[in-house]
Amino acid sequence: MTLRPGTRVRTSSADPDHHTRLPRYLRGQVGEIVYAGREWPLPDDVARGVAAPRAEVVYTVRFAAAGLWGTGRHTVLADLWASYLEQADGQDDGEDGEDGEDGEDGEDGEDGEDGEDGEDGEDGEDDGDDGDDGEDAEDDGPQEER
Amino acid sequence: MRRRPGWVSVVRVSRVHDVGGQTGFGPVPEIPGSQDSPPFHADWEARVYALAGALGRRGLFSGDELRDTIESLPPERYLSASYYECWLEALEILVARKGVA
Repeated sequence: MTLRPGTRVRTSSADPDHHTRLPRYLRGQVGEIVYAGREWPLPDDVARGVAAPRAEVVYTVRFAAAGLWGTGRHTVLADLWASYLEQADGQDDGEDGEDGEDGEDGEDGEDGEDGEDGEDGEDGEDDGDDGDDGEDAEDDGPQEER
Repeated sequence: MRRRPGWVSVVRVSRVHDVGGQTGFGPVPEIPGSQDSPPFHADWEARVYALAGALGRRGLFSGDELRDTIESLPPERYLSASYYECWLEALEILVARKGVA
């Protein structure tokens, strides 16, 4: 099932002892789906050399900075794999049947909003980042076309 | 000490990564490649970056593997090294591990 834009999600609070692309500061946090991307191999599997890594939908999820750090009026966008997320408050609103691969009417408007937030690197973080964006520039980020 | 299920994530020491978002490191002084700042602070950084790209594209390792290796550096080293020093040390580890060195 693909989560629709606008769906509130809670991120996993697990602290895995392997590589993951769910940043520590986004664990156990509630955010909102902004965009449902395509499937991409799960980094947790790829980094461990799993022969057939799971492929999952990668979502762009928006978080309020104040909710993460107690301050700041901006939002933070992160690309997160499906297994990092669960629906936050049981939003079984009957829309599940509509989640086709594309063509969702609301998306264009959502994209416009994203631009205002400062849609930058793959991680979409405006500041405070440890520089992971540099790595993304040359490898296999989910948004990179091949 | 016996560990009970559910205690594991408490007992285990987190990996030293995701410095981003943590407080106590002060503001980011400069973001290479942004506006007026050069993409690299020194030539060797550019070489490390190029080397990682070249080796990665030849299939020696994936981007996730590189990230994993960087995160697996000893915490005291990770936190004291610069961004591309971490890359270089990870490359040295990967090249040796893959038998290329």
